[in-house]
Amino acid sequence: MAEHIDVAVIGAGPAGLAAAIAARERGAEKVLIIERAEQLGGLLPQCIHNGFGLLYFEQDMTGPEYEKAFIEKARSLGVEALLETMVIDLDAERGITAVSSRHGYMKLKPGAVVLAMGCRERSRGAAGIPGTRPAGVLTAGTCQRFVNIEGYMPGSRYVIVGSGDIGMIMARRLTLEGAKVEAVVEIMPWPGGLIRNEVQCLHDFGIPLLLEHAVTFVHGEERVEGVTVSKVDAERRPVPGSERFFPCDCLLLSVGLIPENELSRKAGVELDPVTGGPVVDQNRQTSVPGIFAGGNVVQVHDLVDWVSWEAEAAGRSAAAYADKGRLKVASGVKVVPGKNIKYVVPQLISGKDDVTLHMRVERPGLKATVKVGDVLWKRYRSVRPSEMVILEVKGDALREAGVKGELVVDCEIRGGD
Amino acid sequence: MSALETEVLIIGAGVLGAATARELSRYKVDVTVVERNVDVGWGITKANVGVVCQGRDTLEFRPEYHRTRLLWRALPLMEPLCRELDVPFRKVGAYLLIRDQVLKEKLDKLARRTESLGLGSDKYYTYSELKEVEPFISPEIKGGLHDPEIAVVHPVYLTQALVENAVANGVRLMLETEVEGIEAGHTEFRVRTSRGEIRARYVVNAAGEWVDKIAAMVNADDFVLFPIKGYVGVLDRNCSELAKSLLAVLPEEPGDMNIVVPTVEGNLLFGIQLQINRRHDRSTTGHMARKALANARKLIPEISEKDVINSFCGFLMFRNFEIGWHECEVAMSARVPRFLNMTIGYPGVSASPGAALEALEILERDGLKLVPNPKFNPYRKDIPDFSMLSEKERKALIKKDPRYGHVVCRCETVTEGEIVEAVKRGATTLDGVKFRVRPGTGRCQGGFCGPRVTRIIARELGIPETEVTKAGGASRQVPLRTKQLLEEGDGDG
Repeated sequence: MAEHIDVAVIGAGPAGLAAAIAARERGAEKVLIIERAEQLGGLLPQCIHNGFGLLYFEQDMTGPEYEKAFIEKARSLGVEALLETMVIDLDAERGITAVSSRHGYMKLKPGAVVLAMGCRERSRGAAGIPGTRPAGVLTAGTCQRFVNIEGYMPGSRYVIVGSGDIGMIMARRLTLEGAKVEAVVEIMPWPGGLIRNEVQCLHDFGIPLLLEHAVTFVHGEERVEGVTVSKVDAERRPVPGSERFFPCDCLLLSVGLIPENELSRKAGVELDPVTGGPVVDQNRQTSVPGIFAGGNVVQVHDLVDWVSWEAEAAGRSAAAYADKGRLKVASGVKVVPGKNIKYVVPQLISGKDDVTLHMRVERPGLKATVKVGDVLWKRYRSVRPSEMVILEVKGDALREAGVKGELVVDCEIRGGD
Repeated sequence: MSALETEVLIIGAGVLGAATARELSRYKVDVTVVERNVDVGWGITKANVGVVCQGRDTLEFRPEYHRTRLLWRALPLMEPLCRELDVPFRKVGAYLLIRDQVLKEKLDKLARRTESLGLGSDKYYTYSELKEVEPFISPEIKGGLHDPEIAVVHPVYLTQALVENAVANGVRLMLETEVEGIEAGHTEFRVRTSRGEIRARYVVNAAGEWVDKIAAMVNADDFVLFPIKGYVGVLDRNCSELAKSLLAVLPEEPGDMNIVVPTVEGNLLFGIQLQINRRHDRSTTGHMARKALANARKLIPEISEKDVINSFCGFLMFRNFEIGWHECEVAMSARVPRFLNMTIGYPGVSASPGAALEALEILERDGLKLVPNPKFNPYRKDIPDFSMLSEKERKALIKKDPRYGHVVCRCETVTEGEIVEAVKRGATTLDGVKFRVRPGTGRCQGGFCGPRVTRIIARELGIPETEVTKAGGASRQVPLRTKQLLEEGDGDG
């Protein structure tokens, strides 16, 4: 492939599609998406439930519908895509090495790169669930692919560990498929996913949600025969004597998502140990000039709408970089998570321009106030770790407050949990 | 059904049975290997850290032990064997560490003994010298003895390669064949299996975890075994720089093993928490996991819970407590002629080439004719590992077979070409593929590639996806089609 590529986007999920579209709209001539799967859309094709696009399109859409809108737009703008193509290396000079059956071994050197690899699910090994190692233990997303794309069911009687959104959505999906979901087991005192999923996927189907409980043993030689579920104390340690046996033939895991940054590491991109994603500035430029990032590869979002928006910013910046061969890193001010704030993205801002801050609180609470230094504060009826707090900060306000060096974001809670 | 007749029946396709079968395939002997599992090397061979050592690092090491003699014999054979079979062998070296200066005396004693036995001279490293070579080591460590000879292999790869080569040289392999009973006659054994009767002049009992049970079927259990369970944790490949060598704390009592060891693939393993246990119970417990992690952190404080991608338990079959933990048995039964028992305990993988040679000598002394097989070919070529190839090799491979350009497992960069080849070489299950070419062994543990590998196996074997198992038997990955439960439910209603 001798032709010059302005912007290469790695990954064709909602982030990659949005970044590619934004790059084209910002003037990049040749935009190429590189995708490992056989089709565009990332995980959206398997997300056949609704709740997508409420913010972005102000419409309630399914995953495939949301995806289709972006794919059609990308096509109409002449975005090109390589499917079933795996990027196996990325260097700090934006050099991409990719392979595919059709095109063989390829080396590309685009004007700018957007990382849009999304995230992966934490596995049983990472979650450290003890017991035997039979068939029938899989992540909720893998199960979703089997059921919604491949047309197979991994079992008929389930326990789901972790109340992440995919886990709760699969609890409903499997129930609709005629399977029995015995319980959703959550180690924390609050659910891991959105309230709307807790209500619509669990409560509406009478599926018990066991908070402050953990799966402490997996039983079964060849196939899962059941799990032991125990109550946990404040240190998340199992309480002896609280064990209960749940018969099941399948254990689904929905115990967290991890941004997929193996390529970012190869390129020497600085990663944030809390988000697991690259440290980015407000233009979504990473620590490596010309490499941008957007969507779940940066931070795990709750809503696909925000994935799209964040990736659009990355795509626009990448196009600007490809055009001029440089883009100043907006590094004037470092945004620092303070009291009860787990992280804030972007980590670096100019301190002069309008910026949207994405953050997660550490603990839930009622009557919360989020304070952005002396620049801005906002009250919330309640905050929860599973629901991202998003604040728009005006450049004028930042300039007026004379923000320099660091900007600390705090969350104070006046009510109870 | 007429009985299968064979000269030598080997029970168990673990590393010992496989090494013995391959050694026998050098000769014109009719050899049959029966294995109860759906694949080879899946018993105690599988759950093993793969260290190749002389055993000289332990205080229970005694030159007069049978086990020691087997190890000495085996060690020079291991590297050339791995080369012939094209399986990875990595000389990583080891540091035997102490946390208390008082224990330095013990290390000195070990070093003196090693030297007096002519096994080399191990150098003592102080903490500051250690820090130069292993920068992540804990400052609590006072020093350590360096053994440059320690290497690692992958016990399952080695076993697969031994079996593949043995089969290529004429050995008969019967999988999913469980021995149910053995009757000793004057000239032959009648072995009842789940796949019919086998008549054999000699039986080599290398049944690993079940070796005493098999021996007991014919009253040849001249020994007692204690199943000792060990816990091992696996770290993400991103942590590979944390330890370049095997790091072990000098055991302060038998069975107290605290090691961090690199695999041939560059992951780090840590463990081993040992406990006497009910046989075959390979379950992990939270207690073992926490203790192993805490121990590993005492060696390398940077090891984090976040980097643990997997864990497993395996068994060591210890021969006897009284004479030390590590005595072995490679001997003709004293009570049943022509019945050879093989069990090594720890370190069985290291000793296997030596044990196989010894088994052949015992059989020959007993009258088995070892006439060289003129067609014997010692070489076997491994499945190409795309992730390790150079650019030129990758290009050539994709050109030859475009399926090598299709990456199926993103974490370990495993291509469709490798998976198809693994099936051709005998993998029939997800674990069979995983233990040959690694899809699903990386950080996502098969989350992404699982459905795709299932599809490839089904396609290559010409079976429905619902029949693809994790590891044989009832371990079907996706036993049902969607809508099936609803339809069945309607039927009931």
